[in-house]
Amino acid sequence: MSNHKALEMFGRSGNPTLNTATFANSASGGSPSGIQAVHSDTMTLEGTVNKTGILLALVVLSASFTWRMFFESGGQAGAVMPIAMGGAVVGFVLALVTLFKKQWSGITAPLYAIAEGLFLGAISAIFEMQYQGIVIQAVALTLGTLASLLFLYKTGIIKPTENFRLMIVSATMGIALLYLVNILMNMFGSGGIGFIHSNGLFGIGFSLFVVAIAALNLVLDFDFIEQGAEMNAPKYMEWFGAFSLMVTLIWLYLEILRLLAKLRSR
Amino acid sequence: MDANTLIFGTIAVLSLAVFFYLGRFRASAKQRERHDRIDWRARRFSLWKVFLYALVLVGGIVLITQFI
Repeated sequence: MSNHKALEMFGRSGNPTLNTATFANSASGGSPSGIQAVHSDTMTLEGTVNKTGILLALVVLSASFTWRMFFESGGQAGAVMPIAMGGAVVGFVLALVTLFKKQWSGITAPLYAIAEGLFLGAISAIFEMQYQGIVIQAVALTLGTLASLLFLYKTGIIKPTENFRLMIVSATMGIALLYLVNILMNMFGSGGIGFIHSNGLFGIGFSLFVVAIAALNLVLDFDFIEQGAEMNAPKYMEWFGAFSLMVTLIWLYLEILRLLAKLRSR
Repeated sequence: MDANTLIFGTIAVLSLAVFFYLGRFRASAKQRERHDRIDWRARRFSLWKVFLYALVLVGGIVLITQFI
């Protein structure tokens, strides 16, 4: 199996697709200063960071479109909702495509960022109208969490292990199940699971728990990117690594926004 | 520009700078040279186990809501 083929499936799914030949070709890829050497055809840390920057810029650009549209319409949610919902659905589909076709990440990840940006811009504008200044707080807390956890990961203070991975993946799946049940209950008109949206102590505690799990998912993303670069994964995995980070960051941002809104509404 | 925007805007910009600076460096030897690292080539646990733990979590949360 060629390295390229072997690493095609290397990703969050954790499929056993690498073989010893892949490791044989794995260079440490590091310079004495600790900055990773740049290879033209393999995944590097620098390339992944740059691509994360591109995706972040795309999210901000497309978010500013629906943000402006909302405020220019005089705060009419109906004016941006079709675009926002369209962005969310298209983003979800693109995320699934990216998960199963990692080699397409170079195209699907930027499209995902644009689609999700449309959704985030509208949601953020609606929150901002209700609670002035909440969006910049949520952005700062999200990026602050990202930088802090990256520091804790790089220095080895947080050490992700297989048990850590099992706990975080299980908790993430549990939260997804709860949200799915909530959506289904809403669809059938029963009002959903109350505590998810409540601003009581339990509702805030639940939001804090979800924020913590979303933040710890970042550690898994960092470890995945670090090992991908160490193993000289194919170049397109830089886009996939950046995409993984974006998915977690967008989730973390939305949860922080929701938590702040709950706190402000008390 | 109000104080809220100034303070949180500064935190956001500084955090981004830290991310773009630190992100280019490899993790410390303490992080890389350990025996219990995650093996991303293979999943060491079954999806059923993940699903079971997720159900236990959901069940736990639902139980707690009944007592609060």
